[in-house]
Amino acid sequence: MNIREKTGIATSAVIVIVIVIVAVIAGAVLMLGQPTPTTTTTPTTTSPTTTSPTTTTQPVKNPDTLIYATIGEQETLDPAWAYDTASSEVIMSVYETLISFDGTHTDKFVPKLATEVPTVANGGISADGLTYRFKIRSGVKFHNGDDLTPEDVEYSFERAMVQNRDGGPVWMLLEPLIGIEAAYEPLTFEQIDKAVEVEGDYVVFHLAQPYPPFLAILAQSWSSIVDKEWCIEQGDWPGTAETWENYRNPETPPLQEVMNGTGPFKLDRWEHGVQTVLTRNDQYWGGPAKLKNVVIQVVPEWTTRKLMFLAGDADIVDVPRPNIKELEGVEGIRVTKDLPTLAVDAMFFTMNIDPNSEWIGSGQLDGNGIPPDFFADKNVRLAFAYSFDYEAFLRDVYQGEAIQPASPVIEGLSYQNPAQEKYHLDLAKAEQYFKAAFGGQVWEKGFKMTILYNTGNEPRRIAAEILKKNIESLNPKFSIEVAARDWGTYLKEMVASKLTLYIIGWLADYPDPHNFVQPFMHSAGAFSAWQGYSNPTVDDLIMQGISEIDPAKRQQIYYQLQQIYHDDVPSVPIDQALGRHYERDWVHGWIYNPIWPGEPALCDPYLMWKG
Amino acid sequence: MELRAYIVRRLLLLIPVLVGVILIIFALLQFFSPVQRAALYVRSPQQFRNLDQIIEKYHLNEPVYVQFFYWISEVLKGNLGWSKSVNMPVSDALLRFLPATLELLIFTVPLTIFIGIKLGITSAIHRDKPVDHVTRGLAIAGYSLPAFWLGLMLLMIFYGFFTGLFPPGRLGLDAEMVVSSASFQNYTYIHTIDGILNLRLDVVLDALRHLVLPVTTLTIINLAFIMRIMRSSMLETLNKDYIMMARAKGLDEKTVINKHARRNALIPAVTVSGYLVASLMAGAVLTETVFNYKGLGWWSVNAAVQLDVPAVLGFVLFIGTVIVITNLIVDLLYAKIDPRIRLG
Repeated sequence: MNIREKTGIATSAVIVIVIVIVAVIAGAVLMLGQPTPTTTTTPTTTSPTTTSPTTTTQPVKNPDTLIYATIGEQETLDPAWAYDTASSEVIMSVYETLISFDGTHTDKFVPKLATEVPTVANGGISADGLTYRFKIRSGVKFHNGDDLTPEDVEYSFERAMVQNRDGGPVWMLLEPLIGIEAAYEPLTFEQIDKAVEVEGDYVVFHLAQPYPPFLAILAQSWSSIVDKEWCIEQGDWPGTAETWENYRNPETPPLQEVMNGTGPFKLDRWEHGVQTVLTRNDQYWGGPAKLKNVVIQVVPEWTTRKLMFLAGDADIVDVPRPNIKELEGVEGIRVTKDLPTLAVDAMFFTMNIDPNSEWIGSGQLDGNGIPPDFFADKNVRLAFAYSFDYEAFLRDVYQGEAIQPASPVIEGLSYQNPAQEKYHLDLAKAEQYFKAAFGGQVWEKGFKMTILYNTGNEPRRIAAEILKKNIESLNPKFSIEVAARDWGTYLKEMVASKLTLYIIGWLADYPDPHNFVQPFMHSAGAFSAWQGYSNPTVDDLIMQGISEIDPAKRQQIYYQLQQIYHDDVPSVPIDQALGRHYERDWVHGWIYNPIWPGEPALCDPYLMWKG
Repeated sequence: MELRAYIVRRLLLLIPVLVGVILIIFALLQFFSPVQRAALYVRSPQQFRNLDQIIEKYHLNEPVYVQFFYWISEVLKGNLGWSKSVNMPVSDALLRFLPATLELLIFTVPLTIFIGIKLGITSAIHRDKPVDHVTRGLAIAGYSLPAFWLGLMLLMIFYGFFTGLFPPGRLGLDAEMVVSSASFQNYTYIHTIDGILNLRLDVVLDALRHLVLPVTTLTIINLAFIMRIMRSSMLETLNKDYIMMARAKGLDEKTVINKHARRNALIPAVTVSGYLVASLMAGAVLTETVFNYKGLGWWSVNAAVQLDVPAVLGFVLFIGTVIVITNLIVDLLYAKIDPRIRLG
């Protein structure tokens, strides 16, 4: 290389460096202006608060169209298949149910395609709670012009039970109507046929057992009413007994791509991975919506979503939790905080760990492991419960925007006991219980175990690290390892009772305590079965709670269950997240109901407008 | 006839290439246990109990050759499978996301090649002069900047700071309404072309407005490739005896450069251009994500992240075909540029 060439390279390098430095400075300058995070405190109440610092000077963009920029999209448009919140969000804007939740209430209903909400008082519900009668609204048309008939309603429920896909939502209909607990239990067409009948203008549901949350189940997307004739045209089940088994658990849902509801919006198009566009149904029986279009756009990159929001090209956006402070105090943005969600995370103790588990060390109480029944000793569970720093967890993971529930009957559910005692960080008590565990052997010999979390799940990692730090500080013979595994392994190990303890969340299917105490406390419940937790009194109370229709008696039962949960400590709830809703201040009419699908985003676009 | 036989032979080569690539993908899949793959179908605790059913349903615990057999027998029936990452058949997904990628490619490739070749020649002619340094510096700086960073910066300036000037996405709301209306015929789903064919200037302009930033980002990033190849190739050619001879004969510099040097220097640049086309067909993942311009790149990476195996396999089949065909076109172009090159 000659001198001339060397000089050339040096000059070029200087230019590159200058350009890169200028670019980095420009980037830094552009990044400035984002508010710095402020100190957070854990809220003690969950009353939503709304802030809207200054009104925007921007003219309203696309005044007839509401644009919601979000991170993902629906799995399906078939109501009987949909069990994800994004699908439900679209379905509930296009299809309708017999009844729906009344505004912000989760325990009050208003009629939709039924003319009134049945009660025992108005004769709609039989005194024994086994029969529900709905008079079907007349004059309602589907989007294709077909009339709604009671036969459509009967078909909708029977179709859902016929389809009954693996891992789908239909178990919620099968449990009250057929009396089977899992969707894969044997089922005959006769059972399905008898469960829902048409009687003139009425549709009658015959329940296998009294089931108080039945109305709440009927108010959600899986109970959407479809057009029988149109469904058959789409290749769906023809409504006959002969062929019903051919339509069970299909490979893909028959109504995957198409919609024909009675709701205020019609499906215009679903551009997979890009957006879903709904247009107003001008013939809607309740009167046309104020919005002409609702566009749900998939914009996975947060910065792009944020810029669209600031430019007014999106009216509502999903904001990732780490970025929640970025849009505070910004002109034209309205933020509603502290929205209670019906979701809870808890720490579950496995009481009969598989002896082959690789997470229990030697498998004995010899200082190098734990025995498989380590957590069967209540003292150990109590010691762990008192070793967790709940406040620090809520502060670090949720920036203070979550509350600590006392039991699975979380805030927002009926029969939640607000005075129920909670666990708190108390290392003195933790020490006391560790000393009592296994007749003092735990304290004397020490133990070694591993807590697993699924790779990338920071809240679970932080929870495990908090336990490790606090418990190891009590006794040098205590050793906890925190290890990450992929989601599949985590799941498999959890279901196989191989995890020592696991942290996992539960999101309400319907707003009733039964939907929480069953998986958390019943010996056959999803979590308690994997934990090996069994308490016959609890099982009995849970069955009493679900079959009791007197609210006063139900309250008594669920209060009792909450106390037993606290005393037995099969698991410890660690957080109930509080949501946020961000909208441009030209958006009006948004209401929040914790049971509505998804993040607190769209809820009911029929009630919304821009201006 | 000789040319036709050559093309047929090269196209037949597609079969072993595709089979080889698919076998590699199947082999790689064995690093993921059936549980890991099944877990991706499970979203909530309510569904955890279904892991075994999912494994059975999708034959995830079968030996690799059985899984391959299931897949290939469906492909031979014309069914590429179901893409669970976008909830649609794989063949539909390919057709759905291809136009966006093609639209990016239509504008990026000619622009990159034209500017790259022009700058490469300019740089070579003015070797070690300020023009050369500045040109090379700019090109290398563009190449060095990460795509997502450059894209975000451009978006922040031209969409955030100059509010709404060049927005993300493929079309604005008004143009979207036009394109999805019954009166608008979508011939290609490439909005600029369809806009012209439907005589809708508003759609064309709106699509162009949305293309400015992603095309600029891709051009800046890919420019250095072509420019550097063209520069060194040009420098090499300019040192050849026949150029000296041309100059000695008294030909003016313009003729020497344009008639004698440029054409001969083009061959390496054509190779790189072929690579550019193929890589852009595979999608510009980061650019597509930042600008919310959903094309094949976004889809394929999204599918890979979600272990959406049928989608990954379908995409590999498609991109393998594209690469083989692109290479064929590049070879044909060699012969066109330099008649001394014989195909065989």
